[in-house]
Amino acid sequence: MGELEELILLTVGILDQEAYGVAVLEEIKNQTGRKVNISAIHTVLNRLEEKGFLKSYMGGATEERGGRRKRLFTLSATGRSAIEEVKNLRNKLFEQIPPLALDFSHGY
Amino acid sequence: MDTKLKHHPPKWPDRFLEFYCNPSRLEQIQGDAYELFYMNLEERGVGYARFRFFIHVLSFFRWGNIRRTRPSYQTYNHGAMFKNYMKIGWRNLLKQKGTTFISIFGLAAAVGCCLVAYLFIEQVWFKGMHQENKDEIYQITYTAEGENGKTTFGTIAEPISEMISEALPNVKEQTRIQIDLPILIHKNESYFQRAQYVDPGYMEMFTYSMLYGYPGALNEPEQVILTEELSEKLFGDTHPIGQEIALVSNGKEKLFKVGGVFKEFNDMEMFNFDLLVNISNRSNADLSMPIKDAWKSELWIFIQVENGTDLGDLNAGFAEMVKTQNKIDPENPYLSIQLESFNDLVKNSENIERGVVSFLAVAPQLLLAAIGTFILILAVFNYINISILMASRRLKEIGVRKVIGSNKGQLIAQFLSENLMVCFMAIVLGCLLAAFIFVPGFNDIASKNLKIDLFNDAYIWLFLGAMLLFITLVSGLYPAIYITSFKPINILKGNQQIGSKSLLTSVLLTFQFTLAIISIVAGVAFVQTNYINSNRDWGYTSADKIIVNVPSSQDYIPLKNKLSALASVTEISGSQDFVGNWIREEEIVFQDEKYEISLLNAEATYPELLDIKLKEGRMFNPELISDTQESILVNEAFLDRLGLSFPLDEKITIDSASYAVVGVVEDFHTVFFQMSIEPMAIRASPDTTFNYLTLKMTLGTAASSMQAVKKTWHETIPRGLFTGKLQTEVFDHEFNDVKGVSNILLFSAILAVVLAALGLFGLVSLNMNSRIKDFCVRKVFGADLGDLSMKLAKRYLIIWGIASLLGGGLSIVLVSTFLNSFFAFNSGVGVIPLGLGLLVLFLVIAGTVSSQIWKIVRANPATILKAE
Repeated sequence: MGELEELILLTVGILDQEAYGVAVLEEIKNQTGRKVNISAIHTVLNRLEEKGFLKSYMGGATEERGGRRKRLFTLSATGRSAIEEVKNLRNKLFEQIPPLALDFSHGY
Repeated sequence: MDTKLKHHPPKWPDRFLEFYCNPSRLEQIQGDAYELFYMNLEERGVGYARFRFFIHVLSFFRWGNIRRTRPSYQTYNHGAMFKNYMKIGWRNLLKQKGTTFISIFGLAAAVGCCLVAYLFIEQVWFKGMHQENKDEIYQITYTAEGENGKTTFGTIAEPISEMISEALPNVKEQTRIQIDLPILIHKNESYFQRAQYVDPGYMEMFTYSMLYGYPGALNEPEQVILTEELSEKLFGDTHPIGQEIALVSNGKEKLFKVGGVFKEFNDMEMFNFDLLVNISNRSNADLSMPIKDAWKSELWIFIQVENGTDLGDLNAGFAEMVKTQNKIDPENPYLSIQLESFNDLVKNSENIERGVVSFLAVAPQLLLAAIGTFILILAVFNYINISILMASRRLKEIGVRKVIGSNKGQLIAQFLSENLMVCFMAIVLGCLLAAFIFVPGFNDIASKNLKIDLFNDAYIWLFLGAMLLFITLVSGLYPAIYITSFKPINILKGNQQIGSKSLLTSVLLTFQFTLAIISIVAGVAFVQTNYINSNRDWGYTSADKIIVNVPSSQDYIPLKNKLSALASVTEISGSQDFVGNWIREEEIVFQDEKYEISLLNAEATYPELLDIKLKEGRMFNPELISDTQESILVNEAFLDRLGLSFPLDEKITIDSASYAVVGVVEDFHTVFFQMSIEPMAIRASPDTTFNYLTLKMTLGTAASSMQAVKKTWHETIPRGLFTGKLQTEVFDHEFNDVKGVSNILLFSAILAVVLAALGLFGLVSLNMNSRIKDFCVRKVFGADLGDLSMKLAKRYLIIWGIASLLGGGLSIVLVSTFLNSFFAFNSGVGVIPLGLGLLVLFLVIAGTVSSQIWKIVRANPATILKAE
């Protein structure tokens, strides 16, 4: 799983029932300050859905969208476990970093 | 949020997105793009938002988003859509049976009229198009120096035909064609019949379907082929093959057997004839004729070339023919010989002298086309008016369709497809009307043989198709665009007023009324002219006189003696031409000026016998030798033309002999009223030989003694053709002709009025239906009948007034021109036709409005106002 994919998967998780292209874009901008192109987000969302990490349904038309519906994404069970797996992996790796990994060892 | 209403994402990138994007992803992508656009709009302004929108659209242009093959579930089901359109259209038509009938009937009548006009025009311009070999048949023509410069002639020296087989390669068939008018004798009855003397190759080149016999019958020189019409006239029900007939041409009689009979011709044939005869039977087919005379006799020559022949190969042969001709007849040399394609004979008929087609009948074509167009315009306007009003009842449907997402194009397609349905029915009905009523009626009037030939005539399909398309678009496009242009919100709120009062409706109605007035005026003026002309004084007494023909000079004296021996004949006199027919023109000289006048050579007793009225001077005195040798009578027009008054001192020179004018007669009609009275001189000639004898009968016996005269005539000349007639009948043919034209005009006038009335009725009743509550409320409050009628009729009366001015003015100009071109003597456009035209239209309006007012009178306001 790529870095952007992970980021977006997490954002979808955060947004819960309200995750769609623009919302994801805004959330990422607010949380991380990163500006991601909307088309890139779409591509990733679609790819994640193909992999089975996300589920989607159409809904929530608004006036700004000219009456068009959004494609709302939610995490699937696989998606959730994938995030956890990644998180576990990170934690596992992180925990293997020695505490106070200072330069003492070099000081011998 | 205010800005949102003002600004929209840029159109072109948006369309581009819609164009390329995979439909399954379009909604989410476009939605996001729009949302971002409005976000940017609020944060950074329009320019930036638009720019970003554009960038987004471009960035979405990725492989995954681009539509590739159209997914199967996305194919639009056009079939079902049109089926739905048709079904709804059909229901609408059924719901409004009356108005639907008006539209369809009007259009069908117009189609019928146009079809007749088309058939007539086609029959002139597409002659011979049913011939199988038409593309390979050519006529040989030559060009020579004529009186008016270079002229092409359709007839060519006969011996050319003998050179064809040697000089021209690739010629499959050839035929000479000579036309003649021999006397046909069968069972002691004789007739003039149009004969074509042809080579047997004629029947190979041209295809005719045979009723009896076989096409090769002409290979036997003593056989002839008749048309079905002639065969029926001669033999009736008996089998014609093998029957004997005799033909008399140039005084020589020859016997023939009937070898075949053609099936009935329609008017599409190139040649007009009653029978075909083998050319070796010609009376002047004299083998001992000197070679130069042979080259002087000219006739038509047609050849059929092998399929795919290069016509350039024939040029050498033509050059040789020209050379031979110039050697034999150097006074009248050919410049060139060329071919004229069979298909171009009509088109080039004006450039070919003595060709096959000499008369194109332009005036009747114009008249019929004008009538057809008139009626078509009336019907189409009816339809436009009515369909706008009809559609106004369907505004809600249009609104709902628009809200659901139909775009304008689809709505227009829907209305046009309904329109197409109506027009299609109109065309079918129009064909039926034409086939069973209009065409037979017209054939009767114009003695034509037009036919709607759907199986062989590709052009008529083309014409009908073009007609369908034309009517559909012209009548449907404006209503469809107008109706679909409304905003759904206005429609659904009920704010949309649709113009029953619209300017267009008024303009169309004015135009219709104008056309109706013009056609009534034309019809009435024509009938009036006919009526006046049929009672016009001919200038002499036509009663109790019989004219008989004298076929040859040696018959003249015996015939005259025998006829004067009849008990009922009181007087008898000869003339070269007879009054009531064309009279030959001569040049006279008076005071060194030349004039063209009609000159009637007759016996000295002829003017008195005819009871021509004397104005001044005296009639001829048969006893005076000077009267029969050097005197003439003239008519008033003669004096007017020469600017003279009686008595004249000087003599008039005719043919280098001088004549004294002994008397002046009042003007009389020698030809029909289509021509004005020409200056005329009557010259008394010694009683030698004349072409006609005029018999004066005892009072009231003319018609009854016709048989006796005919019998006596045949006793004197057994093998001749008797063409005698009553003096009262001389204009019968012309009277029938103009009667036919006046019938056509009256018919179109009636049709025009009926169409205008129907259209008006449709409009008023639709109008009334939408305002019936209004009227009922008025009625409840005590409005009287007059007020209500005035309210309904006012607009139509104003339109009537405008149309009266327009139509009256136009018809004075147009109809007078038309009458003048038709009759030298006509009543002009007077008060009667104009008044009648306006009155009829007024009555139509009054009748239509009062029929609607009657509805209100009878209506119970309570039930109408209670409804809903």
